[in-house]
Amino acid sequence: MLRTLVSAALLLAAPIASAATLAVTVRNARGAPVRDAVVYAIPEGREVGPANQTAVMDQKNRTFIPHVLPIQAGTAVKFPNSDDIRHQVYSFSSAKTFQLPLYTGTPANAIVFDKPGVVALGCNIHDRMTAYIVVVPTPHFATTDKSGRLTLASLSAGKYALQLWHADQRSDPAPLPVTLTSGEQKQIELVAR
Amino acid sequence: MVAHRGVVCQRGGGGRILCMSVVRPIAVLTLVLAFACAANADDSLQWSGFALLRGASSVDAGPLRQEQLSTQVQLGLDWLHSPVLGAHVHLLARDDNGHSKASRRGTLGVAEAYVEMNLTPGSDRVRLRGGAMFLPTSRENIDALWENPYTITSSALNSWLGEELRPIGIDASWFRRGLFAGTTVFRGNDTFGALPAARGWSLDDHWTLLGERVPVDPDYVTSVSAENDDRLGWSARGGWNGPHLLVQLTHIDNRSDGREYGELFNWGTDFDIVAVEYTVNDWTIAAESGWGPTFLIVDQKYTDDLRASYLLVSRAWSRSRASLRFDDFAVDDDGQQAWTFAYLWTPVSKLRVGAEVATTGGERRVLVELRYRFSAQ
Repeated sequence: MLRTLVSAALLLAAPIASAATLAVTVRNARGAPVRDAVVYAIPEGREVGPANQTAVMDQKNRTFIPHVLPIQAGTAVKFPNSDDIRHQVYSFSSAKTFQLPLYTGTPANAIVFDKPGVVALGCNIHDRMTAYIVVVPTPHFATTDKSGRLTLASLSAGKYALQLWHADQRSDPAPLPVTLTSGEQKQIELVAR
Repeated sequence: MVAHRGVVCQRGGGGRILCMSVVRPIAVLTLVLAFACAANADDSLQWSGFALLRGASSVDAGPLRQEQLSTQVQLGLDWLHSPVLGAHVHLLARDDNGHSKASRRGTLGVAEAYVEMNLTPGSDRVRLRGGAMFLPTSRENIDALWENPYTITSSALNSWLGEELRPIGIDASWFRRGLFAGTTVFRGNDTFGALPAARGWSLDDHWTLLGERVPVDPDYVTSVSAENDDRLGWSARGGWNGPHLLVQLTHIDNRSDGREYGELFNWGTDFDIVAVEYTVNDWTIAAESGWGPTFLIVDQKYTDDLRASYLLVSRAWSRSRASLRFDDFAVDDDGQQAWTFAYLWTPVSKLRVGAEVATTGGERRVLVELRYRFSAQ
């Protein structure tokens, strides 16, 4: 009995023990930290399961919250309106073209973003409102904080293509190949151009 | 009561004959019903709006003039063919005695009607509108249907723009990463300037309808649809907005000839507005300041300098909002100030209960209001 329990515990602990962590810092060409940059790691040679998640892009004080929302392709996004005025959310982006009618509260149906790419959001009533949904083909993604840092945790050992996106970039940078070993904690600095 | 060629007349108080065209209301109601039927069958057609019932302490004249009891229904009809192409019609019905010369027993008509096209060249966004529209510059009237979420009535500046300016033409807007610019070329609005110069400023929410004639004094009227001299007016705006701050400059020139055309007097108005808005957490601070000359030529040329500014501070909670506004407005050296405090409470999602107190020049006005929102959602 004891042997069985120990074996089960070891089996459960094995993936955690072998998980690698990638700490990324994103700076611009002048060395200043870049906030709201998205970094995502695409596993090479391994299938990625479909997303079955729901995310939220709120609207409060005529601001989309968060300003940048990374999601895995296939994720459904809700667009609640927490303001006391109406909003009309739209996107012209090829990754997802849609518009919601004028509304307050939360629309009944979430919108599924099934195609990787950058979806620029706006409000047709309040032109100052802008935000981005970054749809990525992997569950391994994060957004930088105000110091330009993020962490991709629970990565299994193997090869990855590391991709960077931020709103002010002029073109898509080439993916950075990264190889992680079991339990490795790697630090990488990326320059956003 | 007599009816002739679509006009119904009836004898009112003091033997006055009151007339109202029945053609326009019937046409508008038909349009609404047809739209509602179509909207049920097509997701690209949407409608939303609100109805309000308002009571006010009696103020007969001056900037705080207001009906003791008034009602309004405003309805927005939107056709959303795609994010690229759409159309918008803003209908308004109101029961107010005394504002409108054409109909002293209530008015029903069109406040806005335009077709809109959105283009995305590169990372820019360009929006084209053609039709009749509010100038999209107000920092107060920021909700759909030009509704003001902060107070029941708007500042002197925006009360004037809502009552006497409705560009009828083409508007182009350009947006790029916080920078924005726009220009409007319009017909109509030849009498823009008559209200503050001749009647006086007001703190109101009386959005004039297309074709409506609003009394300026017993002898003449003003209308946003007045095009007497066949000269196009124009407006230009530009600015920048960041996550919390917006700065905007606007110029309006109706290029009116300043001449008299029957009961319509053209006022040539050149007006500049600078606007700043700062939003952080649940606080909003908004300010607009406008100034410029207007002239009228009757025997000789009369010129007035118009000036109107406001500073608004507003705090929102989950179901309520409190706002305080200071207004400063003048014609030449004849200036006035006003304070307005409003508290708006939303006990349930579609109902808003509001109270507002405004004071200026020794006058005080108290408003209470029930506002019910409806939509096709």
